Amino acid sequence: MVNSENAKAQMRKGVLELCILSILSQGEAYPTEIIEKLKTTKLVVVEGTLYPLLTRLKNTGLLSYRWEESTSGPPRKYYFLTEIGQTYLNELQVSWIELVNAVNTTIQNSK
Amino acid sequence: MNKTVTINISGIIFHIEEDAYETLSKYLLTIKSYFSKADGGTEIMSDIESRIAEMLQSKTSAVKQVVLMSDVDFVIESMGKPEEFGGDSSDTNSSENHDEQTDNINGLQNVKKRLYRDGDSKVLGGVCSGIANYFNIDVVWIRIALLILTFFAGLNIIFYVILWIAIPEAKTTAEKLAMKGEKADINNISKAVKEEAEQLKKRIEKYGDEFKNKAYNNRDFPRNAVEKIVDFISDVVMNIGSVLLKIIGVFLIIIGVVFFLGLFSLVFGLSFMLDSINGKDWINLFLLDGKDLYLGVIGIAFFVGTPVIMIIYGGIKILFKVHYTNRMVNLSAGIFWLFGFALLLYVGVRTGNDFNKEAKIRENFSVNSHDTLYIKMTETPIDLLEVDEASDYDDTEKKYSEYNKESDYLIGKNADGRYLLGHAQLDIIKSQSNSSELVIVKESKGGDRKMASERAKNIDYKITTNDSLILCDNLFKVNNADKFRFQSVKVILKLPIGKIVFLDKSLENMLHDIDNTTNTYGSEMINRRWIMTDKGLKCLDCKGLDEESSNTENDSDNSSKNENVKITVNGVDIKAKDSQVKLDSNGVKIKSKTTKLTIDEKGIHIDTENKK
Repeated sequence: MVNSENAKAQMRKGVLELCILSILSQGEAYPTEIIEKLKTTKLVVVEGTLYPLLTRLKNTGLLSYRWEESTSGPPRKYYFLTEIGQTYLNELQVSWIELVNAVNTTIQNSK
Repeated sequence: MNKTVTINISGIIFHIEEDAYETLSKYLLTIKSYFSKADGGTEIMSDIESRIAEMLQSKTSAVKQVVLMSDVDFVIESMGKPEEFGGDSSDTNSSENHDEQTDNINGLQNVKKRLYRDGDSKVLGGVCSGIANYFNIDVVWIRIALLILTFFAGLNIIFYVILWIAIPEAKTTAEKLAMKGEKADINNISKAVKEEAEQLKKRIEKYGDEFKNKAYNNRDFPRNAVEKIVDFISDVVMNIGSVLLKIIGVFLIIIGVVFFLGLFSLVFGLSFMLDSINGKDWINLFLLDGKDLYLGVIGIAFFVGTPVIMIIYGGIKILFKVHYTNRMVNLSAGIFWLFGFALLLYVGVRTGNDFNKEAKIRENFSVNSHDTLYIKMTETPIDLLEVDEASDYDDTEKKYSEYNKESDYLIGKNADGRYLLGHAQLDIIKSQSNSSELVIVKESKGGDRKMASERAKNIDYKITTNDSLILCDNLFKVNNADKFRFQSVKVILKLPIGKIVFLDKSLENMLHDIDNTTNTYGSEMINRRWIMTDKGLKCLDCKGLDEESSNTENDSDNSSKNENVKITVNGVDIKAKDSQVKLDSNGVKIKSKTTKLTIDEKGIHIDTENKK
């Protein structure tokens, strides 16, 4: 039998970027918060996936961050969307919806 | 008892058991080496470390101060092994990703804006704010424009509802963002069309070049060229299609609006039918009762209105590329249409049924047996101003009989309300007996014979005889309650052989194809005396006028053959069974069974009779 887990993981990874940007579009957040949100939707299997992604997004200029002292632990890195990130997200969301529709239609038609 | 190690992660101090420490440091090393080549590897590393510190912190407390092996296992499990992180940050991909990134950011300039309803700043359905977002203008202007539209037959309400249905609400962030897309102005649509057209041009050029090259270089691969052509054609079709679609969308909206306005004014009787006819009165005379009028109007509104609204709806969907289909809309449109159709059918059948049967009623009058009878027309006493149709004519000096054909009906007004007026007709036939007789034949239609004859009986028509003088009203009256059911009145004078009748000039419009030996038509029969012979009416004082007609009369009499052509010095005379063409010193005369045309010293005269 073909292992579908791999395919699922690939799918999740593909949309992770979009999800992170979407979460941040609702307001700034530090990684733990992002993870909490992603976990509820079962999008993140391992947290380690997130950090390289966040850094890459930041380096591309889509995200920026600021430090904030935490009362209970290490200082937190609060990420937020830049203007470019916002526009980028807009575009991504549009094409995502189109993709989903297209895929859904394809799936339904082939049923 | 276990040995513990003190470590510092992200500036937080932990006491950790030795075996746990071993595992953790090994784990961190793997990650570090994994990210060492990646862009911003150290940063990723420190982020991960601070997250680990956070996790470990949550695992320790004042009571449980030491990090155990199980805690480290938990951290590793939730953080995942580097190979599980995915290829995202490995340096092999990073440069490539970066390129894509820049591409995407540049691509932002072309973010396609979509029309959505703005649920966040709505008054009713968020249509106005959605449109304002689309065109990037203040919503106030849209709302004002919508209010102004009120003065165009309430178009705004229809528009609003259609838009409400057609445009989806922006629910998700993505939709909201697409709704507010950065780059937009009022020229968006024309721009898009232009862009698409330009793209098309470029592509054509590209394909042209490619095709040339291909044809040149790959003579061995004609199939390739064929494929290219097919590609090219489909591409062109697609592009032309999308430009055309927009144009079609605009057209549909315009057509829809025009039709809607037309329908609206029709339904509300703003410009109903011919302006010289009072449409509402006619309809009232036609339909059985007021209920039918309302049903009919509602029926028309639904039957015509539904398609019109669907045209606007479709136009908007095409123009703004709204892709989602609302099945409820289509379904209810179909139901509305059928509903309208059913109503019209009901009214139509009900009204039509009332025309089902025909009845004739005869009223006989005896006439004094003078040798000569005089027939005159009297104008039915109606105030001209009371006749609606006359209002169209400025020249009130004219008698309306001059511009109304015998077949026309009029609507009159009096204190009791409206009533129908029709022109009576006169016919003269040979009497079977020795005495003259006058018969009035009243005719009407109705749902059944009884109804029809009832209506015929109700026709108000007067004839007065005074010695040898017969006075016929020119018009008959029909009660409003009796409706318009093709009522007609025919006065028939039965004349015994040898008796003479004088047709007064006033009868001009009442005479209708009275059979006579000379085939003279009505308007020429007036002002003359006619005698009844066993062959029919014969003119007594037509000398000089119709010398030849008396000749032709003989022809027509022994006409077992149906045609006769005569060309003499006097002129041309072609005669068939039901028609005649005549050219002589008097002028031109063309006559068929129902139509007459004369050109003489009086001018041109055309007379038609509409056979019902």
